[in-house]
Amino acid sequence: MKVYTLYVPGKTYIHKMNPLTKLLYLAVAIAIPFIAPDPAITMACFLIGIFILGWAKVLHRVIYLLAMSILFISTIFIIQGLYYPGNTTPYLILGKLTFYKEGLIHAMVISFRLVNIMISASVLVLTTRPSDLISSAVRRGISPRLGYVMSSVLQIIPQMATTADTIMDAQKSRGLETEGNLKTRLKAYIPLLGPLVLGSLVSAQERAMALEVRAFNATGKRTFLQNEEDYTVSKAINAIIILALILTIIWRIYS
Amino acid sequence: MKIKVDNLGFRYTGGKERALEGITFTVNQGEFIGIMGKNKSGKSTLASALVGLIPHFFKGAMRGNVYIDGLDTQETPIAELCQKVGIVFQNPFNQISGAKLTVYEEVSFGLENIGLPRNQMIERIEEVLELFGIAHLKDRNPFSLSGGQMQRLALACIMALRPEIVVLDEPTSQLDPLGVEEVYKSIAKLKEKGLTVLLIEHKTEYLAEYSDKILLLENGKLKNYDTPERIFGTNPGIQAPVYTQVCQALNKPKENGLYPVTLKDTIPLLKG
Ligand SMILES: Nc1ncnc2c1ncn2[C@@H]1O[C@H](COP(=O)(O)OP(=O)(O)OP(=O)(O)O)[C@@H](O)[C@H]1O
Ligand SMILES: [Mg+2]
Repeated sequence: MKVYTLYVPGKTYIHKMNPLTKLLYLAVAIAIPFIAPDPAITMACFLIGIFILGWAKVLHRVIYLLAMSILFISTIFIIQGLYYPGNTTPYLILGKLTFYKEGLIHAMVISFRLVNIMISASVLVLTTRPSDLISSAVRRGISPRLGYVMSSVLQIIPQMATTADTIMDAQKSRGLETEGNLKTRLKAYIPLLGPLVLGSLVSAQERAMALEVRAFNATGKRTFLQNEEDYTVSKAINAIIILALILTIIWRIYS
Repeated sequence: MKIKVDNLGFRYTGGKERALEGITFTVNQGEFIGIMGKNKSGKSTLASALVGLIPHFFKGAMRGNVYIDGLDTQETPIAELCQKVGIVFQNPFNQISGAKLTVYEEVSFGLENIGLPRNQMIERIEEVLELFGIAHLKDRNPFSLSGGQMQRLALACIMALRPEIVVLDEPTSQLDPLGVEEVYKSIAKLKEKGLTVLLIEHKTEYLAEYSDKILLLENGKLKNYDTPERIFGTNPGIQAPVYTQVCQALNKPKENGLYPVTLKDTIPLLKG
């Protein structure tokens, strides 16, 4: 059974850390380079991110992700190098194309921030089960219904994809053309819609009934199967993250 | 009296006819009741009324009353009723919450909702997984189970809420023969434990074997409510278990003049 998550199971401290702490880290690690647009600070954020990923033993996954984004980053360099409004100093001339220094530097800053965002997001995404993030949020007071919708979508969508495959197979065996050029393939999806939509409406109602008889609408206080890890450590880490943010803001104001 | 249904009627909003009309019966603690009737005769509607989905979930006009352990279902929220009466539906797949990643956690769904303390939760989860023979699957994703396993998980999830009554609405109609066997082993456990069970089922051999009484519905009305032998003996319109049909064909009634409905009762008649 496929689940749409990039989570890499592990037993490191980063895996066990409160998901909301990781979410806070993500927000701050993205914000700092914008508040303090100094390449050295972005670099520091980047290195901290790499260090945490190494600690969580998931660095190899990020390298793969970064490799995938190279194409995108090259586009930034080409476009900014050629067309950045502040371009004045030609740096590199390739035939008819002139790349300017200002644009390339700007592209570097943007790319660096982008990579930093990817690294920081990876800390959260690669080491946290989505369901744990959601249940931490429910503990802190988001509505259990919203929590349910978020976590079930992650599981039920792949399930619908499986259903679609099954219906498609059945239709193929009855002679429906599902291969070939784009037009025939698109056409093949139309007969799929009926059973899929009707099927999921029926399933939705049945699932709603099944949830209902498992006290989904209970109004009392809920409890949680998973124990939350040590509060004090989390609080200390949260405090450090927030302190870093405040220091950056102060630095920005006085420099 | 565990269940008291008094002149129950129900019409779904938009429905042309009443799905149920004038239903009155009672069920005692520990009884096993089979529910039969043709398609659209109102079996599932009755099941919904017994667990409070009618009137709390389905819109429509309800008449009469349903009392579960003395509680009037119209005045008791489902979240409370579900700790008195549980229900398992046909489709195993649609009973998986989709919010939990493992079988073990899936069982916790209802327990978290009712706010059960964590230590009791663990105790109950382990107990029901063991009871229905799915403890070895506890770390699997619920969606990766077979139909029979999923249906036993659904039963485990309901039983973890510790109801004293369980309604089973065609729990095996979407399963393969192996799955049917597995689920019936679990149903036998409910009977052994002395729970009050109401089973909707088309497979009459199973109904006859387990039921103390059978409730026969016809067009939303209660046609008959009696022992399996009398139900199958006096309603020629319904498909009787093969044992009954064989003994009727051979003209081999029991001493009381009725035809047997189970294999156990048939063997001595055919031997003798
Ligand atoms: N959600 C609904 N809305 C409107 N009408 C409904 C709804 N559910 C059932 N009905 C109608 O109520 C009547 C009884 O249906 P019900 O599902 O209770 O029958 P059933 O005996 O369980 O049938 P089956 O053997 O097919 O499961 C039918 O006429 C049906 O069309
Ligand atoms: Mg039904």
